[in-house]
Amino acid sequence: MLNHKILYLDDEENNLIAFKALFRRDYEIFTTTSPQEAVQFLNENEVQLILSDQKMPDISGVEFFELTRTDFPDAIRVLVTGYADIEAVIDAINKGGVYRYVTKPWNENDLRICIENAFEKYYTKREIDTKSEELAQANSDLEKFIYSASHDLRSPLVSIKGVIQLAKTEAIEGKAAEYFDMIEKSVSKLDSFVQNIIHYYQNIKTEDASQIIDIEQLVSDVVNQYRSYENYDAVEIKKAINVTGDFYGDSYRLKIVLGNILANALKFIDATKTTKTLEIEVIQNVEKLLLRISDNGLGMNDESLKIVENIFNNRDNRGPGNGVGLYLVRDAVQRMNGKIQVSSTMGTGSKFIIEIPNKA
Amino acid sequence: MRKLVIYLVDDNDIDIAVNSKLLQLAQIGDEIKVFSTGSDFVNSLKEDREETLAQNNIILLDIMMPGMTGFETIEHFRNEDEQLFEQFNIFMLSSSIDRNDIKRAEETPRVFRVLEKPLDVYQLKKAIEGLTLS
Repeated sequence: MLNHKILYLDDEENNLIAFKALFRRDYEIFTTTSPQEAVQFLNENEVQLILSDQKMPDISGVEFFELTRTDFPDAIRVLVTGYADIEAVIDAINKGGVYRYVTKPWNENDLRICIENAFEKYYTKREIDTKSEELAQANSDLEKFIYSASHDLRSPLVSIKGVIQLAKTEAIEGKAAEYFDMIEKSVSKLDSFVQNIIHYYQNIKTEDASQIIDIEQLVSDVVNQYRSYENYDAVEIKKAINVTGDFYGDSYRLKIVLGNILANALKFIDATKTTKTLEIEVIQNVEKLLLRISDNGLGMNDESLKIVENIFNNRDNRGPGNGVGLYLVRDAVQRMNGKIQVSSTMGTGSKFIIEIPNKA
Repeated sequence: MRKLVIYLVDDNDIDIAVNSKLLQLAQIGDEIKVFSTGSDFVNSLKEDREETLAQNNIILLDIMMPGMTGFETIEHFRNEDEQLFEQFNIFMLSSSIDRNDIKRAEETPRVFRVLEKPLDVYQLKKAIEGLTLS
């Protein structure tokens, strides 16, 4: 196994000779009494295993390991010590990153097993490192792919939406109008799914992106985004906004939170009620932003409410699936260090309370 | 008020058709000019320069375009004719808003907002009202 290189540093020439005699057929062995020569050999060769005597005149074995640990972190280190010097062994493990220690005089069999194990550890670790790197790379490639694919998917969808919008603006009537509504509904559904994927990756990719935000503008922007949604015209949206001082936060994530809750409220209106309301109450001061969003829609039964609560409280980690919107809300809130609560009664409506700290 | 000209710059011909029609229907702008590449747009400005200087100009500029991107178009325009560039108000268009684009838009002179496609004329109208046009 000529590719298996062992460096052995010891001030006693006899040990070096004995060691070499034992293992020269199995490994490529470099022995020296000089620490300088040892370092030079490490610099010039890929060494898998370093053995060093502890008691040497110029430098201790532990010191030698400490010295070379940063530059050669992957090499496995074995300390050879003639004394039952427990202090040196503790130091060796803590400071020198030593794998094992061998007492002198050594037992040939034990030493052989120790060396074999050391090589196995070396190659196992290297394999794990390579695999981890490959995995991280594959994961990042996948993220990039999904992200850019989602963007590419959106572009034609958006064109379709534009054409539909145009068709609806210019007088189309009767059956045709009905069909266009159907197309629009499906396209919107598909589009919000693609958007959610984009939001999901944006959310995990980005760290903090705090900036000053005009909360009133943000709320009306988000509400406006849903103007073409089904039921928008049927719902009376009330806004009560109370702002004191500047707010620093992440507008992208705030939009995700507000948008998804709004979309749900529009989706689950109660058709039996004559007035359908959606109230957005915003209180923002120097410390925090408080959002209360309540509707008089269908509300949730205990089971659904439980599911939503579990998502919000991290008890449900199945990851984004069908109810991807609420996961996005939770993740966005958490990344803004905020809190979210939900309450709901069947037939009465749902209420979300969100608190986001002001980063000012 | 001076004449308001809207320049639509977008490589996607469907989006150009839809957006210019939407602008017409919403009666935004006195004239709409369309270009399918950033360089066509910048080149066209060499003609009628004096006229362009004397009117209100708004560009709706798609970010993702082959060849020159929206932001590169701005860069190029600015290098070509800084004085004329200062006479333009820019809205970037994108089919999916990326936060890097928003950040970049904020750092780019004369860019007021990034608008999502399909163009929301209501939103655009509001945004134009917020501009100081002469």
